[in-house]
Amino acid sequence: MANSKVDSGGRDVRRWLSRLAASERRCLRLAVAAGVIATLATLGQLGLLAWVVSALLVEQAPLVSLMPALAAMAALLLVRAVALLVQERQGQTASLRIRTRVRGQLLDHLARLGPGWLATQHSASLASQLVEQVEALDGYFARFRPQLLLAVIAPLLVLLVTLWLDWLAAIFLLLSAPLIPVFMALVGMGAERLNRDQFEAVARLSGHFIDRVRAITTLQLFGRTRSATVEVHAAADDYRRRSMRTLRIAFLSSAVLEFFASVAIAVVAIYVGFGLLGYITYGPSPALTLFSGLLVLLLAPEFFQPLRTLSQHYHDRAAALGAADSLLAILETTPDPVRDDRPARPRLPGVLVELQDACVTHPGRGRVLGPLDLAVAPGEVVALTGASGSGKSSLLQLLAGFVGPGEGGRRVAEGLGVAWMDQRPLLIQGSLADNLRLAAPEASLEHMQEALHRAGLEALLARLPEGLDTHLGERGAGLSGGQAQRLALARVFLSDAPLVLLDEPTASLDEETEAEVVVALQALAREGRSLVIATHHPALITMAHRRLVIDAGRITEVDHV
Amino acid sequence: MSESRTDTSLMGALRPWFRLLGRRRGRLAGGVGLMALTLASAIGLLALSGWFITATALTGLLLAAGVAATLDVYVPGGGIRFFAVTRTVARYLERLYNHDTVLRLLADLRARLFGVLAGLDGQALSRRRASDWLNRLTADIDTLDSLYLRLLAPAGTGLLAILGLSGFLAFFAPWVGLFTGVLLLAGWLWLTLGQARLGLRASRAQVVEMEALRGRLMEQLQGQAELEAYGSLSSHRRALEHHEARLYRGQRHLGTLVALGNALVSLLVGVAMLLALWLAAQAWQAGDLSGPLMVMMPLAMLAMSEALAALPAAFTWLGATWGAAERLNELEARAESAVVPPAAAREASTLPAGPLGAELAGVTLHYPGALVPALENVSLSLAPGERLALCGASGAGKSSVAGLLLGQLRSDRGGVALGGLDLEAWPEAARQARVAALTQRIDLLDDSLAANLRLAAPDAEEARLWQALAWVGLDGWTETLSDGLATRIGEGGSRLSGGQGRRLALARLHLRDPDLVILDEPFAGLDADTVATLSARLDAWLEGRTVLYLVHQIEEGGAFAPPGVDRQLTLVEGRLA
Repeated sequence: MANSKVDSGGRDVRRWLSRLAASERRCLRLAVAAGVIATLATLGQLGLLAWVVSALLVEQAPLVSLMPALAAMAALLLVRAVALLVQERQGQTASLRIRTRVRGQLLDHLARLGPGWLATQHSASLASQLVEQVEALDGYFARFRPQLLLAVIAPLLVLLVTLWLDWLAAIFLLLSAPLIPVFMALVGMGAERLNRDQFEAVARLSGHFIDRVRAITTLQLFGRTRSATVEVHAAADDYRRRSMRTLRIAFLSSAVLEFFASVAIAVVAIYVGFGLLGYITYGPSPALTLFSGLLVLLLAPEFFQPLRTLSQHYHDRAAALGAADSLLAILETTPDPVRDDRPARPRLPGVLVELQDACVTHPGRGRVLGPLDLAVAPGEVVALTGASGSGKSSLLQLLAGFVGPGEGGRRVAEGLGVAWMDQRPLLIQGSLADNLRLAAPEASLEHMQEALHRAGLEALLARLPEGLDTHLGERGAGLSGGQAQRLALARVFLSDAPLVLLDEPTASLDEETEAEVVVALQALAREGRSLVIATHHPALITMAHRRLVIDAGRITEVDHV
Repeated sequence: MSESRTDTSLMGALRPWFRLLGRRRGRLAGGVGLMALTLASAIGLLALSGWFITATALTGLLLAAGVAATLDVYVPGGGIRFFAVTRTVARYLERLYNHDTVLRLLADLRARLFGVLAGLDGQALSRRRASDWLNRLTADIDTLDSLYLRLLAPAGTGLLAILGLSGFLAFFAPWVGLFTGVLLLAGWLWLTLGQARLGLRASRAQVVEMEALRGRLMEQLQGQAELEAYGSLSSHRRALEHHEARLYRGQRHLGTLVALGNALVSLLVGVAMLLALWLAAQAWQAGDLSGPLMVMMPLAMLAMSEALAALPAAFTWLGATWGAAERLNELEARAESAVVPPAAAREASTLPAGPLGAELAGVTLHYPGALVPALENVSLSLAPGERLALCGASGAGKSSVAGLLLGQLRSDRGGVALGGLDLEAWPEAARQARVAALTQRIDLLDDSLAANLRLAAPDAEEARLWQALAWVGLDGWTETLSDGLATRIGEGGSRLSGGQGRRLALARLHLRDPDLVILDEPFAGLDADTVATLSARLDAWLEGRTVLYLVHQIEEGGAFAPPGVDRQLTLVEGRLA
């Protein structure tokens, strides 16, 4: 599991990330360009510093005569600060745009996959993918991508200047240059493994904590909360002991980088010092001056700094790879075939929707419905019964057009509006009125009150001091299951859709409430609307004009008793 | 009471967490010490190297001019090597040590928060079951966990570095030390307090805006069928995009602030370097300072950027830590207000013995945020030894009645009595021992079978556990498992079937000896054969105890009807029918 998160696996995660980066090429290039300018400004500033020192100490120049150089240094400081600002801002802009785009693509794709596919998914974890996993791409585009290029360009620039100053010192740096890819791999492997191990261990530990929190009511009942608290602490402490063992090794890789950076400064300092004293007569050493020696020393840390920065951002890469893998899994899910946007018209006049030899097939599961023929006429009430998993929901989804017929045809009357209601009615955060207006954006207050009345919610409405403006909490907090169901029913009343599809509308209701819903549905039928109801409940079956039994995807019409 | 407890100012919100950190004062100081040592080595390495090169250059010039001059190269050379090694080693140790500290803090935080949650009543807990709330909670704990490593330690180390360096430089050149010290201190104040102040509101709002986006996303995903049918998919999508835009406006604002802060660090260090160079050069020209020492000063300033680099990002996002602390404080305050004052509790010896009657007198219960009360003026009484079935649909208020009797909920109005004694007068331990419940939702721990059973009886021996398993007919199955009682049952009992989970919960009940038993749909999810055997055994075990059944509806004489019901009442939307 965690392996596939870091691995590219079957999906080409890296190519997808590169494509996304390419879509914001301009920003990312600007970020790199600004980074290069900042490096150049640093080089200039250090060069001036060495020159000023040398002019003061060697040439004994008066301080006042060096004012222009100092002013130039100040100017370069400003340039550097502005360049850093631009680099960071451009990276952020690219990241924000890419994240917006990715989330948009995901939502578009989920809309294509349709409610049929979504019903088979755990929506809370899907939502967290759309929030957290998309956000996890941030550091990769904002920081890691630009730094990846800078980690190559900036050390090269530093090396060139060093080469011009003293080729032997440049060789010291160059000697470590072949090691740079090794560093990067080391740091990368370390960071990746660290990230993977941490991720797994943290997940396990959070799992333990969440497990105990979920069971807290039971722990309270048994009076066991105190011992559970001790256990939570012990588990976290045990995790600490185990993870310290891996961290000891994982931190070594960055220690190696740190070590080379420190040693490079030390080696350069001692080489330059001995050279200046005239102890080294080989190569360029005799030509060393305070200026060139000091500048070489100042450049040594700058040679390693971009790499150190990159290693700090390495976990951004690991996080993005993991997130990209699971996001791509969604994007690469193929939608059910033929969600036809422009279905043909029914052959007989007056028929609302007609299926002919229609089948629903799911990739992997094969044919789940059909072939079957069905026509729904206006004002007709059709009950669908059958064991769970027999295909009732698939048939409703096919009628609604949420899935297309894999084979056969679905014909729909022109401009047919469909109303839908299932066991989990949608409740949006907002007022009661906002929730009703989902079905009819222009509905008047009277219409909404009338709809609530017909759905059997007038008693509730009467008890609410703020009436239709009453605010429902997130996901309908505050409403009971039966009330939520009737609110969805009120939406059906409010819409003028001639075809109403209902999936187990009374599944979670008690007898009394169920009876009220049945009365409401009868009223709906009297309005001349067509109802197709998937249900087990006898009262609903009795009110139907036709009863269809679904078994293993095939329908048989049963004579009404 | 809760008002006085939740101080909503930044410092007020963070104070309890500082106090928690304070318990590990020694370790925290040690970690900061190692950080400071790393930094001192980095500064020392560059400064001493600069000094060395200048000294050798000047000596070299004298030698070239034919002046006899000597320079001890071994002490500074050794110093340079020493700093190079300590910088690496101290950095490595610092990372290890501080990670260890952070993990210790995490253990402390988790345990503390768990203790807090354990004190919450059912009213508060019922709204906090959703997995996204749990994720939020763990994220908040992690945010607070970084209080030390992200905020306190870098700020402390930065301050130490500024004071230490300017003190050191002042030793050679007082003006250099003083002016650069004042400049860097002012910069430090801005990078911590200033950045925090600028980003406070936006960073605090980030979590809220993220949750709002998540909520809209959930609506879009769960309700796509209805949204698509009614043609409101795109208008809802626009609302969603509006939330995303707001979230990202905040992020953009914060990102700009962090970028400005980072640019400021670079500028600050550069200006300090220039200032040190200028003042040191003047001191050198005045003859107060040697050439090598003069060069050392600006170079030491350059190394300061490492001390300040982490501050802008951490402090601009301080509001996120504030928000996390506030949410957790609120939980704590809630848990404290849920505690019943122990003064009212009676001595155990004066409690009624035998089967316990129960009574609800005119009880009204309103969940926070609910549109209508969960229970409205409900009165019912249960005689000792009686078996009452309370019927009703889900959401009718049955579980609320159970919660009241179990002391997990407190009524807004009306009284609850147990054995003729007000519920509040019962000592908690005695109530827990004498009232037992089989809840509708079975909580099973990701642990062994034995550990799950021992929740009910911590000291029970294995033979007693087997007896309980035999009672529910799970002994044969357990024997087939290679690990027997030590078999782990997975997250939430995921390796058990629903029926097995239910039976395990019944076995847990059997390990106890209560005088009032509340059974919520005791046979849900069990097959007819199991119910037939269990029903008779349950009937016998319930003899001599008071029983409250909570059921959807009773099929008279049906196989799934709970055994021995004396009386039946029905709840409809929080009222007795």
